[in-house]
Amino acid sequence: MSALPHIRAYAPPAAAAAPKPTPPAHVGQGVTPLPLPMPAATKPSFWQRFWQSRGAAALLGAVSIASVLLFWQLATHYKLDAYIRFNNIPTPAQVMEKVIEVNSSPKFVTNIGISVRRILLGFLVATALGVGLGVVIGRYRWARALAMPALEVFRPIPAIAWVPMSIMLWPDNEVSIVFITFLGAFFPILLNTVHGVEAIDPVLLRAARTLGAGEASLLRHVVLPGALPHIFTGLAVGMGVAWVSLIAAEMISGQFGIGYFTWEAYSLISYAEIALGMITIGVLGLLCSGAIRLLAKLAMPWQAHSEGVR
Amino acid sequence: MDMSVASHGRVDVRDLHIRFQSKGQDFEAVRSANVHVRPGEFVSLIGPSGCGKSTLLNAVAGFLKPTAGQVLLDGQRITGPGSDRGVVFQQYSLFPWMTVRANVEFGLRMKGASANERQAQARTLLGLAGLLAFENHYPDQLSGGMKQRVGIVRALATSPQVLLMDEPFGALDSQTRVVMQEILTNMWQRLRISVLFITHDIEEAVFLSDRIYVMTARPGRIKAELDVPLPRPRTAAMTSEPEFAAMVKQIKGLIREESIAAMGGELSDGGLVGLSTEVGPQGVGHLV
Repeated sequence: MSALPHIRAYAPPAAAAAPKPTPPAHVGQGVTPLPLPMPAATKPSFWQRFWQSRGAAALLGAVSIASVLLFWQLATHYKLDAYIRFNNIPTPAQVMEKVIEVNSSPKFVTNIGISVRRILLGFLVATALGVGLGVVIGRYRWARALAMPALEVFRPIPAIAWVPMSIMLWPDNEVSIVFITFLGAFFPILLNTVHGVEAIDPVLLRAARTLGAGEASLLRHVVLPGALPHIFTGLAVGMGVAWVSLIAAEMISGQFGIGYFTWEAYSLISYAEIALGMITIGVLGLLCSGAIRLLAKLAMPWQAHSEGVR
Repeated sequence: MDMSVASHGRVDVRDLHIRFQSKGQDFEAVRSANVHVRPGEFVSLIGPSGCGKSTLLNAVAGFLKPTAGQVLLDGQRITGPGSDRGVVFQQYSLFPWMTVRANVEFGLRMKGASANERQAQARTLLGLAGLLAFENHYPDQLSGGMKQRVGIVRALATSPQVLLMDEPFGALDSQTRVVMQEILTNMWQRLRISVLFITHDIEEAVFLSDRIYVMTARPGRIKAELDVPLPRPRTAAMTSEPEFAAMVKQIKGLIREESIAAMGGELSDGGLVGLSTEVGPQGVGHLV
């Protein structure tokens, strides 16, 4: 048998009225194809097909959310009191009523608008500074040696710890809250950018230089796009931390904003508004990280084709 | 875009020495090497692994400064990387965020060529390499052989005086490599550009080259210079001619001595009894 070349003679399982396969070119040329075992023609069962369908995923997702709502409903309806206490927790229906109530006055929407503005301002400044500084630090050794020690001093301090200092530092409350939001987003963006720049394959930089790229072109056409996947990781993490920092800052020092709304609801013993505030913060966070994912997709079309897409 | 007859593209490496400081140790990579590529000539540099052949190419590319000696392109001293020398690297060095055509256009863009000019030049070259259908693909969508063809086309797009190729097919499987060699020799036949080609594959060097330099084990010196008597254009059939086999055998003998030397006394020649020079298709250089 060893003299026979191994020939693949796989034919798909015979479907109804399948055309007779034409003999392969090697037949009659002194080469005999080896018989290969046919894969057993198993038809996937109804359940197998069902679990692989899109509808199954949607159904399970609905079950997942519904069970949370059901637990919430039952626990609040029967005033569950087993170490954790649901005595004062509003029911889903009460929160729903609140949604309609708060939307009848512009106060709630204004609060959301103010929070979103703070996030956008802080996050945009953090992106500009974090990416700009990150590229310089990642690319030039002198910049790294100069900037990193100072940055490392501030990095372990959580943005929330800056609240009192920030109030003293900035002329008005609004700027100090934006500053805290900025701080939350800045370090993840900076460090991921630095990492992304350092992780660029040196052969790409060499290739660009042999093609006549100067330093400015290198930064624009190679370093920045090369670091983009890491930069977007930084943006996603930074957005999360920015929200954490913003809500904390609004709860502590705020006037207005969705964090302030939630804390005020607690002070005013308006339990339904607490839950509403929480849910709103969750939805806003979800929308923001969704926006970043969408942006990443648009900015990095080549990523759709590479392996190991996040 | 007249690239049919090369009138320049002369590379002169004169008495080149290259030393590194690596981990506090002085490290001599190349010692008094003399290498010349005449305009329009295909020259290969072959030697055992780690012999400094890539170092020599890096000096011509402008990535390394010679410790002593001169590297000249058309009589001009090379001071750094530039688009007058196209480089094809062993690793795929395509920009993953650019389409195939954008990769090929990159060098022209750096030169400030207009979008129309860039596109015309890129499409001509992609057509020559049989890649026109993939101009809008991203590199991650291509096979290894296709990526390396794009790499060659990209290096050619700026109409360099010389093409420097650093084991460009080293990462490919042997079947793909053979096909790539044929594609390359066909492209060279059309463009007649000077090429300095680094390889450790003897058959590859003989098949492609007009002239072959054999390097010694580290520190790399030029051990021998051989003219390849095969006619042009080269065809796959020539690899089974006795002339081809004789040339391969001759170079194998030369490299074998150096490969053993490169092992640094781990093995004496006696330790290799039974290993004839006809081992395997890749030659003994492969064993090191």
